[in-house]
Amino acid sequence: MREFFHRKIERTAIGFVLAIIAAASVGGIVEIAPLFTIQETVEHAPNMRLYTPLELAGRNIYVREGCYACHSQMVRTLRDEVERYGQYSLAVESKYDHPMLWGSKRTGPDLARIGGKYSDYWHVAHLHNPREVTPESNMPAYRFLSRTPLETATLQSDLNAMRSIGVPYTQEMIDHAVKDAEAQATPDSENAANLLKRYGEKTQVSAFDGVTTQLTEMDALVAYLQVLGRLVELPAKQAASQPSERAP
Amino acid sequence: MIAQLTLNERTSALGLLILVALTGALMAVIGGDDPFAAHGVIIILFCAVIAAFVISGFDAPEPRIDRQDSYYDDPTKVGIGLSMAWAVFGMFMGVWVAAQLAWPDLAFDGAWSSFGRIRPTHTTGVIFGFGGNALIATSFHVVQRTSRVRLAGQISPWFVLLGYNLFCLLAVTGYFMGVTQSKEYAEPEWYADLWLVVVWVTYFVVFLRTLARRREPHIYVANWYFMAFIVVVAILHIVNNLAVPISFTQSKSYTIWPGVQDAMVQWWYGHNAVAFFLTAGFLGMLYYYLPKRAERPIFSYRLSILSFWGITFFYMWAGSHHLHYTALPHWVQNLGMTFSVMLLVPSWASAGNALLTLNGAWDKVRDDATLRFMMAAVVFYGLSTFEGSFMAIRPVNSLSHYTDWTVGHVHAGALGWVALITFGSLYTLVPALWKRPQMYSPALVEAHFWLAIAGTLIYVFAMWNSGIIQGLMWRTYTEEGSLAYSFVDTLVAMYPYYIARTVGGALFLLGAIIGSYNIWMTAKRPFMPAATDDVPQALSPAHARVPAE
Amino acid sequence: MIVDHDTVVHFAKSWGLFYLIGFFAVVCVYTFWPSNRQRFRDAKSKILERDDKPCR
Repeated sequence: MREFFHRKIERTAIGFVLAIIAAASVGGIVEIAPLFTIQETVEHAPNMRLYTPLELAGRNIYVREGCYACHSQMVRTLRDEVERYGQYSLAVESKYDHPMLWGSKRTGPDLARIGGKYSDYWHVAHLHNPREVTPESNMPAYRFLSRTPLETATLQSDLNAMRSIGVPYTQEMIDHAVKDAEAQATPDSENAANLLKRYGEKTQVSAFDGVTTQLTEMDALVAYLQVLGRLVELPAKQAASQPSERAP
Repeated sequence: MIAQLTLNERTSALGLLILVALTGALMAVIGGDDPFAAHGVIIILFCAVIAAFVISGFDAPEPRIDRQDSYYDDPTKVGIGLSMAWAVFGMFMGVWVAAQLAWPDLAFDGAWSSFGRIRPTHTTGVIFGFGGNALIATSFHVVQRTSRVRLAGQISPWFVLLGYNLFCLLAVTGYFMGVTQSKEYAEPEWYADLWLVVVWVTYFVVFLRTLARRREPHIYVANWYFMAFIVVVAILHIVNNLAVPISFTQSKSYTIWPGVQDAMVQWWYGHNAVAFFLTAGFLGMLYYYLPKRAERPIFSYRLSILSFWGITFFYMWAGSHHLHYTALPHWVQNLGMTFSVMLLVPSWASAGNALLTLNGAWDKVRDDATLRFMMAAVVFYGLSTFEGSFMAIRPVNSLSHYTDWTVGHVHAGALGWVALITFGSLYTLVPALWKRPQMYSPALVEAHFWLAIAGTLIYVFAMWNSGIIQGLMWRTYTEEGSLAYSFVDTLVAMYPYYIARTVGGALFLLGAIIGSYNIWMTAKRPFMPAATDDVPQALSPAHARVPAE
Repeated sequence: MIVDHDTVVHFAKSWGLFYLIGFFAVVCVYTFWPSNRQRFRDAKSKILERDDKPCR
């Protein structure tokens, strides 16, 4: 009898746990499940570029330094945002983003369309000391990026890991990851031509921090900032200002 | 503490520590010059410190056979200490990080001290360090008292508490070194996440086994909230942190979720971390410590059941309100908005239930700062859940999102609700645990209360102002139809508020330091039995059934 | 049957709602079931009793 009583109350505790799971998780599943089929609704962008190894390294620096805490990368479908930052963000643009960096707070401006708006030199000077460029800025200074050589040894594993979760890097891209990273910051080099062949003619090759002798974290971060918003060719008509709300 | 364990248990504790330390050693060796190796060393040091404690008490006499006749409160006591230590650390980082927004040179040109790296040390320090330890400590206390049975296991509660703190330590040290997944409130990398899964499953088992052994026919509602907290946080943590490490010798990993899916999973996690970590768990505290302190049963037990299931059900749908007007499909945004508004019903049911419990005991609220902490927490809970539902409405969100209004809302909840209910609960729990008639200094509790209230109000009002001003400035047009303000113009308008919020945060930090001191002195003060009873006055059951109408 | 995006969305929008209503009904029945009344009444007052050691 005592044994039976014990088993009964133990069962209620477990049954209770199951009820919590039923209440809590089904809601989540119902809401999230459709997103697994979202590829069907995402806009098509046949010419979408991949992040080059240097840009990916820059993205990882952006992640490491927590830039997302102050900068969003998501222009909402509101008139003032489209006028301030440019064409509103499309789902397809973050198709290869692991993780997404949409952000949740704009202590600084949105960066979804920052690529190509300023020169490399501006970015380097700004990252060096934001207050020399914009006296009122409260952004931290990132001088150490110019001093720190970029760690390229892991680039192959980076690309490999990305491929394993569905980003279409080819074996050739993975094999040449280190060379491609160096080539992107060394204009007119032999390898730069190969880089363009692999990642497309639009890839920006530049001595990002102004020095070609050493690949620094500054090179990588500026390369990443310069590609933001330029992975996808947006149709010209959409770039005009939009009504304040997109039709459902 | 060690004297509570048998010789066998002391040996297994050491064995477990050696096992974990060996894992740390392996990480240190294979990690090369990656932060992975530094984390290996931290794990070894962490184990060494605990092992030193175990060894120092190794020769203590073994416990009496009838351990089952007493509650197991040692993990709770240590948990309270760790919680307050994390509170002071996390709030200090908060004040520093807030000051950096007003005076950016306070980063001192360091990489480790720049805003982006220390901001997560603040959020992790207060949410997981302070809040998490307080939840573990109080849940262990409440589940034993309400089940009238000793906690299951001797070492496993310690494993939960200390293992959890190792996770927090790995997280925070990682941010300084730049180890982060960049998922807000889920920043720690894959190995720390895996470790948390092990710890959390143990927590679940300890809690469930204790409930299963209970001597009461019914599971008290506070335990429901704790259980929902444990179960759902496990689900959220696992789904959101699915990632592929670039290698097993490095800290870096890539989340398996791409773009839009990642955004949805992240904010499904992020919002439910608020729901089940910062709301459900602390409602568990509320439903036990508030009736205890007020010496009045909860106003309506049925209402607490209804609001429990309401909160558990609705919250899960609400996450997408973080993504209004983004590239997330429109119907998901609307679904999130609808459920966020409906959430107000169970939230206010809980708040109303708590306030009606106090109805008729307002004299106690007036005289007892501890009870006032809890009442103020309930008021802030009601306000911030209303604000949350309001901000989830799409047009409101178009103004508030990306601004300091969100930050103000979060802190109305975090300072006003989470921290105040925790302090109120700890001031109830500490004298009871250490068998003291009352806190070391009731005057310091009073001082802490007013510092906390002043700090919260200054902070929240500053952020409301700055958020709404900035949101409006961003969308102001000139008569010619062009944007009136550059981004920098709107930033310049923020500086006075950034200074005010730093002051508010500093007051709150000061209160937490005073509270830590008070708790420390209560525990250290020599035992002085009360005149009539060995039960703390405030918890005396003598008048429990007689409402003080 | 082909499971595409619209099917899943339709399922989420319709059955999700029925699930919500059903769940709510079950919770209400449990809460207001007459024989549970005494249980709940005991539960809410029992925590105020003296609890300095486990009950054996």
